[in-house]
Amino acid sequence: MRGIFELTRVEIMRLRRNRRYLIFTVGFPVVLYLLLGKQVTSLAYGVSFHAYYMVAMAMFGGFSGALTGNAQRISQERKDGWIRQLRLTPLPANGYVISKIFVSMATTVPSIVIVLLLGRFYGGVNLPVWQFLAIAVTIWFGATIFAALAVAIGYRYLPDQVQPIAIAVYFVFAILGGLLFPIGGGLRKVGELTPTYDAVKIATDVIANTSVSAGLAIGLVVWLLIFIGLATWSVRATAESV
Amino acid sequence: MSHYGTGSDAVQSDGSDASSSSYGSQKTVSGHGAPVVSFENVSKHYGSLHAVEGLSLDLRAGETVALLGPNGAGKSTSLDMLLALRKPTSGQIKMFGSDPYHAVKSGRVGAMLQSGGLMPEVTVGELVTLVTTLQPRPEPVEVTLKRAGIAQIADQRVDRLSGGQTQRVRFALAICGKVELLVLDEPTTAMDVETRRLFWDSMKEEVAEGRTLLFATHYLEEADQAADRILVINRGRLLADGTPADIKARAGARRLSFRLDPVPEQFLQGLPALVNLEVRHDLVQIQTSDSDATLYAVLDAGYRPYEIEVTGLGLEQAFLAITAEDDLASGDVRAEARAEETN
Repeated sequence: MRGIFELTRVEIMRLRRNRRYLIFTVGFPVVLYLLLGKQVTSLAYGVSFHAYYMVAMAMFGGFSGALTGNAQRISQERKDGWIRQLRLTPLPANGYVISKIFVSMATTVPSIVIVLLLGRFYGGVNLPVWQFLAIAVTIWFGATIFAALAVAIGYRYLPDQVQPIAIAVYFVFAILGGLLFPIGGGLRKVGELTPTYDAVKIATDVIANTSVSAGLAIGLVVWLLIFIGLATWSVRATAESV
Repeated sequence: MSHYGTGSDAVQSDGSDASSSSYGSQKTVSGHGAPVVSFENVSKHYGSLHAVEGLSLDLRAGETVALLGPNGAGKSTSLDMLLALRKPTSGQIKMFGSDPYHAVKSGRVGAMLQSGGLMPEVTVGELVTLVTTLQPRPEPVEVTLKRAGIAQIADQRVDRLSGGQTQRVRFALAICGKVELLVLDEPTTAMDVETRRLFWDSMKEEVAEGRTLLFATHYLEEADQAADRILVINRGRLLADGTPADIKARAGARRLSFRLDPVPEQFLQGLPALVNLEVRHDLVQIQTSDSDATLYAVLDAGYRPYEIEVTGLGLEQAFLAITAEDDLASGDVRAEARAEETN
């Protein structure tokens, strides 16, 4: 376990040196929130648009870091032989993947903190502290789901294939789940199947002070299990070539 | 192993001495007889390609063993299987009496493979520190840096090193724990002559502490100088196993040449200890495993050759002779195998 924490610590140190990931995880959501956050005055998902869009943007940034950033790094590290090198050390076989999931949770912190602060002070979203915390926890959990998907993609595809695949998959989940704009009509029915929808709905239900349905939480867990299954499949399938 | 009788027994004395040094007594280095590594009839097939075929061998504590073979011979595949990176199609590999995966995770093995990469965006010192903390029995980081000859580049970024420097960092990652077995695949590739010499000097220290060393190389000179035992692999099978001297003898260690006119070819074919015979005009070139016996036989038969020369064959020629003989005997499918393995 100590090895996994040590690896996680060094990975986070690397991220602090290479901050390109902040463009997507923080820059993009902040700009969108500044553009749209206060302009729309209707309700979305039972709460004010300001509050909904704060949640949606924090998730959009946080999840994109967990998926696209991670998938790219994992694929590159596999190609470079770093994963192979780690397999020759006493680090447990799953240590690399577990530490990547911890790192994903860490990469969501800037988007959570900055976007939620923006919502509070620019968007005027006034929530009790526990609700902010509940939103943060939901984002962290969601990030682990996308980190698992990142493992599934990163292990299977080469670095130059990963970027378009991860971004395409991500936008499908982001749009259908309502991370970029509220989804209605027929698409909503499809969107309700996504983990991104589950996460947004849990957060907005918390803000609206309505009870969170168990179905949403179950949805997140099921997606986590699906992606863990895919990730395991990818890792096993490439075991001899990593 | 069945191919050549000399093999493993001949070199055991070296290994046993080393294993009883201070390092060995500190923990349960597998005692005499119990192999550090054993391959038992191990095969690895990729479809119709047999990368490794029925490989059996033992390494004992304290031995320095070189793995020699042409590209595509199955060296890397064998090392990968030993280090639990690949699974054998059949047969069994044991390290320290357990399966390779658990042996690797127990921190008793340090390995450096050509295909191993480094984590980017960190300094050399940070990387060595990280891998050191993964070890159950870590060496002090300063000691590792010094031994690998990278103390002065500890603050440099890993992704900005030269090929030789990268290779030394990889070596540092292999020795940052108190390991009992070191597995090195082409360790001196990308090193210049001077660095290579320094590398082998530091290797001597590692071995003097009782470590078992298995290394693959294509620098035959290195194998000749550093190894006390050589395994020759070709087309996935073990062709020869013995001391460098054994291997040279096996191949016909010496070349005897002389001029004789006319050349009694029929007679020469029947000479004792003859391995290979070439005749060009009046020039006779004989590869022999016992040059004295061969020459005496010529003289005893009443011939008086002139311009007699006896030269020792290097390990390289011995190696080429052994593998060429094998390829000839089984039809050359090696080129095919090479193409597959490099993919």
